[in-house]
Formats: sequence, structure tokens, C-alpha cells
Amino acid sequence: MPSNSTGLADRSLAVLRKDVLCEFRTRYAINAILLFGITTLTVVSFSVGQKNLPPEVYAALYWVIIFFSAMSGLAHVFVREEESKTSTILKLTADATPVYLGKLGYNLLLLILLQIAIAPLFLTLTDAVLTDPALFIILLILGTVGLAGATTIIAAIISKASVKGALFAVLSFPILLPLLIGLISATTKAFSESGGGLGGASSELQLLVSYGVVMITASIMLFEYVWEG
Amino acid sequence: MILKALLFIVMTWTIIAAFVFPAPQQAIGDASRIFYFHIPQAWVAVLAYVVSMAASIRYLRKRQPVDDDRARVSAALGLLFSVLATVTGSVFAKVTWQSFWNWDPRQTSILILLLIYGAYFALRSAVSGYQRRARLAAVYAVFAFLAVPFLVFVIPRVLPSLHPSDSIIDSSGRFTMSGMTAMVFGCSLAAFTGLFVWMYTLRLRICGLERTGFEE
Amino acid sequence: MAMTSNYTVLAVTLIIWVGIFVYLVMLDRKTKKLEEKK
Repeated sequence: MPSNSTGLADRSLAVLRKDVLCEFRTRYAINAILLFGITTLTVVSFSVGQKNLPPEVYAALYWVIIFFSAMSGLAHVFVREEESKTSTILKLTADATPVYLGKLGYNLLLLILLQIAIAPLFLTLTDAVLTDPALFIILLILGTVGLAGATTIIAAIISKASVKGALFAVLSFPILLPLLIGLISATTKAFSESGGGLGGASSELQLLVSYGVVMITASIMLFEYVWEG
Repeated sequence: MILKALLFIVMTWTIIAAFVFPAPQQAIGDASRIFYFHIPQAWVAVLAYVVSMAASIRYLRKRQPVDDDRARVSAALGLLFSVLATVTGSVFAKVTWQSFWNWDPRQTSILILLLIYGAYFALRSAVSGYQRRARLAAVYAVFAFLAVPFLVFVIPRVLPSLHPSDSIIDSSGRFTMSGMTAMVFGCSLAAFTGLFVWMYTLRLRICGLERTGFEE
Repeated sequence: MAMTSNYTVLAVTLIIWVGIFVYLVMLDRKTKKLEEKK
């Protein structure tokens, strides 16, 4: 049993560290996610790059790229455990919540790296005009938290399934739809002239913040039921 | 027996009244009659989900197989009724606003419900092992439900940029419903709820039989 | 839209409903019989 003298944060960080180190050796997930993102971005910019499109379109395109890249890479954090059969050992050596938080942190890192790579490229390769950089950055952060928060537990669920396929996307999409709608709506404001700054997007921001909080809290509470099997 | 006869009478009466009495919304004419069927279907779809989620929570706590049956049966009915609600809703949208789909928040929320049900069954069919399947499906049912209220809050924000759609029906339909319209609507609501309850209990009884085994 | 009269739609709907109802009643009876056998 894990010793109770190490705090929750320490144990979570230990899980996170383990995953980052494993990832560093093979670089599988980060490659998959970046490759997907950059390929999609290239296709988008190739077909749409020079035209002057309304801001909603750019906003939608950006989050479509991020969403699908996330779908290709975020399940990895649990699926790898199952496939390399290390999940049983992990279950024996750690409690549910530190495992979840560690894996959540891992997915957050993946998404942050993705955004760092994609966002500047997106802005340069397309004609999107960033009128409100502060809002945009906040949205990137909230989007990352929301995406990782909602999908990490889904990743755990599907890692136990015997037929994975498109299950991750199928299960995640309905849950992510409100997040995506909010993100796209707010990003539109960040790309358009009359956005109104942070205040103009205040209702979206409230939605996004509460979404992240609710999803992560619910995940923490439900995770042990997924993990025990 | 009496209850089923009652259900038959109420539903039959509702159907007749829906088509014979004057249309509820004169501005739109006959198309508004669908409102008698569409809203109760959507209501049952949501009710089925609440039942399913409650059974899922129970299952996670007590691990009784019957709760998993309840969750599954209710979800199947919910899927049926949300398909009905989505279809009748888009037929209505086509007639009234000339397009089958326009991402109106309420349309989107019934679509999400439909997608959640579909995902629920996709998950069930992908997991082997009875207890694991029940457990994971239960977690998903509870977790997925959290997404729906967010769409309810999307409505106030997105509404300025979308044309007001259901608001025409709901605010003016609900509160200025004439006595006759309200009566037919109430009957329809009762009839569809009764239908759900009957189908639910019937299906559950069959599951119980399958579980304990029987020879035909 | 198609100009079928209200009464046509009414008749069709009633037929569908009666069909569903009869099916459910038969299923109910069959289930009850199996339950009693146990």
C-alpha cells in the first residue's frame, strides 16, 4: 500500500513523472498528436490560406484541428498502460486519485505542447486576424483544461474495452460539444473587430471555466469506479 | 388491466383531438399540431435518461445486476424517444423555418442526448465481461449527463446570434395556451409518460425472466 | 407541403398507435404466462 506520509500532490506528480519519462523514451503520443495537428493545419492553410474568411470560420477551423488531434492522442495515456500490461501494477501501487491527476497532468502537457505548436502556425498560415491576443490565450488555456478534463476519464473507460476503434471519439464528442461551441463562439470574438474584449466574451468564459471545474471534479469522483476493474 | 385500457383511451383521444380540434398555433397552421407529439417525446427522452442515470448511480453503489438492467432498458427507450423527438422536431423546423436543422440550442440538446445514448450502447457492445460492462457503462451514463446542463446555459448566450426559434412556441405557447390546447397537451404528456412506464416495466420483467432462466 | 387532409394523417396515426398497442398487449400477456409458469 502506498505510504500515507506522501501527500496527494507528491503522488500525482510521481505518476505524471513516470508517464512523461515513458513518453520521452518513445515519443509516441506527442508525435501522433503533433503530426495530426500539423497535417490538418497544412491542409487547411493550403485550401483556405489566402482567402479572407469570416472570423467564425477561422475559429471553427482552429478548434477542429485541435479537437481531432486530441482525439488521436489523448487516449494513449491509458491505452498504453493496458497494452503493455503495466496497469495492474499501477493499480497495486497507487490509489485512484493520484493516478487520475497524474494522467490528467500528462494530457494537459500534451495539449499545451500541441497548442504552442499549432497556434502560432495557424495565425501565420491563415489570414486570421488576431484582434484580441489576451482573450485568445485565455481561451487556449481554458480549452486545454476543458478538453483534458473531460476526456481523460473517457480514455480510462475505453482502455478497458476490448474493441477500441473509434470508441474514444464516439464517447467524447457529445460531452465535448458544449465546450467546443463555447470555445468557437468566444474565439470568433477574438478574431473579429467588434469582439468587445474580455467583457464581450464573459458568458462564454463563465461557461468554459465552470465546464473545466465540473468535468474535472466529476472525473475525480467517478474515476475510482473505472479504475478498480 | 385498467391502467392499460386507460392508456389506450387517453392516447387515442389525444391523437384524435390533435388532428380534429383547431390547430394550436394559428399562425403556423396545421404544422403546429406536431407540437402535441414532439414535446412529450422529448420529455420522455429526458425522463428515460434521468431513470437511467439514477439506476447507474445505484449500480455503482450496490452492484445489483437489476440496476444495470434498469439503466440499460431505460436507455434503450430513451434512445427510441430521442430519435422520435429529433425527427419530429426537424420536420417541424422544416415546415416552419424551411430548414431541417439549424443548431438551435434546443435542437442541439436533443441531438446531444441522442448521441449520448448511441455512445452508451457503443460502449456496452465494446466491453466484454458482464460486471466490467455494467460498471463502465454506469460511469459513462453519469458523466455524460453533466454535459447537458451546459447546453441549457449556452442558450442565453447563443440566442442573440440565432433567430428565436423555440421561444415562439414555448413562451407564447406555454403561457397563453388556451384551455383546450392545454388539455390536449396534458393528455399527450400523460399518455406518452404512461407508455414509457409500461414499456419500461414490461421490458424489465422480460429481463428478469431471462436472468433467472426459463424454458419456453 | 403535401396536401393530405388532416383526416388522412389522423387515420394513419391511429392505425400505427393501435398496432403498437396490440403488440405491447400481446407481449405483456406472453410475459405474464411465462412468469406464472415459474
